[in-house]
Amino acid sequence: MEALKERRGAVAGAGIAALVVVVLLATGEKEALVIGVITGAAYGLVALGLVLIYKSSGVFNFAQGEFGTVAVFALWLFDDKVHYGFALVGALVVAVVFGLVVERLIIRPLFEAARVILLVATAGVALLAIAVEIWLGDAQGKTIARAFTKTDRFDVLGVQVSDQRLLLIGVLATLAVVLALFFNRTNLGLAILGASQEPTATELVGISVRRLSSFTWALAALLGGLAGVLAVPEADSFTPGILTSGFLIPGFTAAVLGGMTSLPGAFVGGVLVGVVQAVATSAPVFDDIPGTPGTLMVFVVLIAVLAVRPQGLLRKAA
Amino acid sequence: MAVTAQEPGAAEPDVVTVEDERADRTFAPSPLGWVARGAVWVAIAYVVLVLPLSFEGFEVQQFSQAVIYGIIGLSLNVLLGYVGQISLGHQAFVGIGAFASAYMVSVQNQPFHVAVLVAMAVGAGQALVLGGVSLRIRGLYFALVTLAYGLVAEQNVFQIEELTGGGQGQPAPKPGGFESDWRYYYLCLAFLAVVLWIDWRMLKTKGGRALLALRENPRVAATFGINVRLLNLFAFVVSGAFAGLGGALLAHNDTFVSPEVWNFNLALVFVIMTVVGGLRSRVGVVIGSAFFALLGYFIDKFTFLEDLLANIPGTPDLTAELAPLVIGPLLLLLTLTTFPGGIGQQIRPIQGWLRGGRFDLSDRGPKEVQISDVRA
Repeated sequence: MEALKERRGAVAGAGIAALVVVVLLATGEKEALVIGVITGAAYGLVALGLVLIYKSSGVFNFAQGEFGTVAVFALWLFDDKVHYGFALVGALVVAVVFGLVVERLIIRPLFEAARVILLVATAGVALLAIAVEIWLGDAQGKTIARAFTKTDRFDVLGVQVSDQRLLLIGVLATLAVVLALFFNRTNLGLAILGASQEPTATELVGISVRRLSSFTWALAALLGGLAGVLAVPEADSFTPGILTSGFLIPGFTAAVLGGMTSLPGAFVGGVLVGVVQAVATSAPVFDDIPGTPGTLMVFVVLIAVLAVRPQGLLRKAA
Repeated sequence: MAVTAQEPGAAEPDVVTVEDERADRTFAPSPLGWVARGAVWVAIAYVVLVLPLSFEGFEVQQFSQAVIYGIIGLSLNVLLGYVGQISLGHQAFVGIGAFASAYMVSVQNQPFHVAVLVAMAVGAGQALVLGGVSLRIRGLYFALVTLAYGLVAEQNVFQIEELTGGGQGQPAPKPGGFESDWRYYYLCLAFLAVVLWIDWRMLKTKGGRALLALRENPRVAATFGINVRLLNLFAFVVSGAFAGLGGALLAHNDTFVSPEVWNFNLALVFVIMTVVGGLRSRVGVVIGSAFFALLGYFIDKFTFLEDLLANIPGTPDLTAELAPLVIGPLLLLLTLTTFPGGIGQQIRPIQGWLRGGRFDLSDRGPKEVQISDVRA
């Protein structure tokens, strides 16, 4: 009973989720449910990277989306030259290198600066990446092949789920669990948490805060890159800055929904945000909203979470 | 040199005071120095007040835009420079201000001054609501909320045809008496002067000093009885009102507002011009903002710059439209990591000299306080 009380947010979240599922099934929006879960998986993957950086440096990383877009562009460049598997690995390597460069050139010199300055710097990195993508790659839409070409193997509630999407969901679920274990059970994970809370004390017990910082940014870039190379091939085409314009805000909303420091929360939040967006796009109730109803509803979710439960669903009240 | 000794002939005097001959007298420039300073003042006044008269139409609009960007930069400076918060959706505040003003004039047939006041009120109102929500939790959530709000403005608010006039945009005629481009330019200058004055007076009040304390360390400020949330909200509201004003002026400068220009890239250009200009330096922010407002125009106008950018080896053409997007973030990152004071810090010696002081190259301004213990 006590444990249940402590996890009130999680219970409430599960309750809301169950209610949403029932309502959607009852009103015939079951396609939206499936579409929501599979797009939400991509948001969850972006959110994982955001949570990772927030946990370790206390900063909102606005460049997280661009870690993904850089990987997507790399994949697009490598794809017709080498085997797809190698191209995929190459793209992830490019993302990690980008993350390391950003950490070394931008984050580390600003180690002592106010958080808001660091935030502005990450936003600057995002804009620089987008501008360079437009400059060198032109702004035309490009297409990219899937890792698994079969798109009609499974049929869930009337929606065909491609193998690529299953892969994405699998990767996300695995990563959420593995990373949660990593932070709670391994020395390296605990060291990262320690460094974020007491950098000086962490140094004093012989842990290099700088190396930890490099490691976390590389890991975040890897997560961003994974989100990019797994999710973007599902879209019809991609343009410069696609992960910043299309995935960053839902990703942040997912992370806030999950409590900003909870890795499983990022996963759950991503799926919830995906469902909300899919329903807003398809349900006739939202037809009167001008423009793109999905964007507005994601914003409403963000505002509602901050107004009602700012600590998020999966974080114990501090 | 003054030497004080308690006993004559003592081996070591207790107190030795050495007075610097130069620091002794307050510095006053020679008559020639005053003439030189006066000449520079006149030159600045000439560039700002007279030079734009020798241009026409489109080019004067560019200069007006530079002045308006100065107002927008000061609006962001209130957030970023004074309270240490940041809006990544400032294009929405400015854009909605622009549409509000255009809508009031074109659809509701209200006079210009009413439209401007409405635009400012709308800007302040949005900032109040978004700020109120994001301050529920400690941290920089205002950045997140405004980022999402910017996209909502782009994809929802600016799709309302009645407000935006659909694809052609909403017409926004110049106010009566200021129909010519250069008269409107002076009107913008007057508004900039008012904003500068408000900003200056605001910091002189008790609340203004509390704002600065907030940025240095919110926890310590709270300990001294400062209402952190209220002051943060106050800063958001002031910033939103300035942004709304900037939007209204932009609308009437172009004589119509198009829904397409208000995107995330523009929000970041606003942030970049403020930071590169130099946080907490009014002159620096205005110079930085004007620089970024005119960057595309300069590249377009001076063909050697355009040729230079088009011929970077191994790259496609860097167009006048795209160049500010590439150069801006580079300058931003360089400023943050290497020259945190921005343009404002670099021009301090010149400012001091113009005010009748020495040309002191070592004048770096008040030292930046490093905050490593506050995760705000």
